Amino acid sequence: MITVENLVKQYGDFRAVDDLSFTVEKGEILGFLGPNGAGKSTTMNMITGYNSATEGNVTINGFNVYDEPEKAKRCIGYLPEIPPVYPDMRVKEYLKFCTELKEVPKKDRKAEVERVMELLHVKHMENKLIKHLSKGYRQRVGLAQALVGNPEVLILDEPTVGLDPMQITWMRELIRSLGREHTIILSSHILFEVNAVCDRVLIINHGKKVVIDTPDNIIRTLGGTTGVRVVVDAGEEAFGNVIGKLGNVSQWNALEENPGEGLHAYAVYFADDKENRDHLFRLFAAQSVTLYEMNAIQKTLEDVFIEMTGKEDATC
Amino acid sequence: MLAIYKKELRAYFTSLIGYLFIAFLLVFIGVFQYMVNLRGGYANFAYAVHDTTTFFLLLVPMLTMRILAEEKKQRTDQLIFTSPVSIERIIFGKYLALITVFAVAVGIICLYPLVLHNYGAVNYAVAYSTIGAFFLLGCTYMAIGMFLSALTESQVFAAVLTFMVILFTLMIDMLVEMLPTGHLLALAILLVLAFIIAVITYVMMKNKIVTIATAVLLIGGLLIAYFKNAEMFDGSLARVFGWLSISSRFQLFQYGICNFSAYVYYISLIVLFVFLTIQALKKRRWEA
Repeated sequence: MITVENLVKQYGDFRAVDDLSFTVEKGEILGFLGPNGAGKSTTMNMITGYNSATEGNVTINGFNVYDEPEKAKRCIGYLPEIPPVYPDMRVKEYLKFCTELKEVPKKDRKAEVERVMELLHVKHMENKLIKHLSKGYRQRVGLAQALVGNPEVLILDEPTVGLDPMQITWMRELIRSLGREHTIILSSHILFEVNAVCDRVLIINHGKKVVIDTPDNIIRTLGGTTGVRVVVDAGEEAFGNVIGKLGNVSQWNALEENPGEGLHAYAVYFADDKENRDHLFRLFAAQSVTLYEMNAIQKTLEDVFIEMTGKEDATC
Repeated sequence: MLAIYKKELRAYFTSLIGYLFIAFLLVFIGVFQYMVNLRGGYANFAYAVHDTTTFFLLLVPMLTMRILAEEKKQRTDQLIFTSPVSIERIIFGKYLALITVFAVAVGIICLYPLVLHNYGAVNYAVAYSTIGAFFLLGCTYMAIGMFLSALTESQVFAAVLTFMVILFTLMIDMLVEMLPTGHLLALAILLVLAFIIAVITYVMMKNKIVTIATAVLLIGGLLIAYFKNAEMFDGSLARVFGWLSISSRFQLFQYGICNFSAYVYYISLIVLFVFLTIQALKKRRWEA
């Protein structure tokens, strides 16, 4: 549905997007993750044909965005970072303009405006000037604009920014339901959101692709389990003596939590990066340390993200 | 294209700007008609029209400054340039809207000679050929204003630039008279101009090879021409600046000379600046 091949955007000496390639299948929701300035918006602007690429190609539904822009753009609904609304227009008037701009057949225009207003719950605001709307409502009108003409592909640049928690939940539900009929690329720097909504995740940093996979796979293959959390009745000194008897422990530390009276929580990491929970269990039994809890420390997408994108930034 | 056209027209007529533009234009021309024709007793309406052209200085930027700068500022250009409408059609739509607002005012101005007819004999041919030239002159300035609005996201900057450019075209005839006529000085000034063009080329294209090629071609061409035939440069400055004199072409109309070459000149400039506007926006897609 969407094919991006070797996309490059060069500003003078600076490469904002560096050789980015990926595909999005029909009906898929792709989460586009990256720290600020990673090139997310630049990439989206190139996919929608707003900006030109220095090198590379984007194909939407079989149409090259640069060779057949009008056909390709007809398949796309785009919600940029800042909703592209005219402050001096009324909501209904603005959406009607969008139906004309997107060449919705004349007889369907009225119904189309009503449809998107219903979908985004802005019907009761239809006669308000957009400049009088709150940020949340502007965002809704912006998304309504992207949905005009029911395009197959939706490109949404941080659609939940500036919304309150209630609206965020509602917006996510809406995006998920839209995902049944539309192919969606959604950028965000909120990992929880991507995890909850998207089928696959593309992480980019410094304009380069870091990884593209399902959220679960990313956590499994890249994050994996690196350690084990245990709750025992041994103090720090005693625990150190006991754990020292296992040869392959790379490091351990006390966790800042209070598991209960006389209990202590520790994180243990192994040199072979495996869990080794069986070894721990037998060790504690042999050393008469009572084990109250033991579980693998699961990495979240958040940890993976920070690990993958933060390394270089941490040094600067 | 129709969608953009309708949107722009609505923007002018739901805010005050469209009405203000038309009102000011009609007031200015009305005042001049009163002074020249009614009080002054001249039967030639073209004099009143001619005096009004100075006010394009204020009126044109008022209308054109927002036309593209505002879209960029509000980021609504992301909507229109990702819609299935091509850049060309967007610009045509916007330019047509500008012209339509102006045409409303000119349409009303067309009634003035009829009013004047009540007070004496009016030469309609002179009056209407001048009004036609007035319309094209305004359209030329609008095309320039639209182009300058495409270069920036600040409406104020676009307005100031437009003001300066129109002022320059109005003053050019005065400047030409002050220019030296000697051929060595003319060469020196033309060389400076060639250098400025090369600098502008570099600023616009950021390409060293094209810049150097332009500079070598222009400066080399001038020098070769000078050493072959220095007399060619006598009065050359006046000729070069004469090409740029948009307003001087308007002069002849008031004396009853229907100057068709002026119509062609204005239409060529309109085509040029609409084209340049489209190119400026296409170029921005590469840079932004």
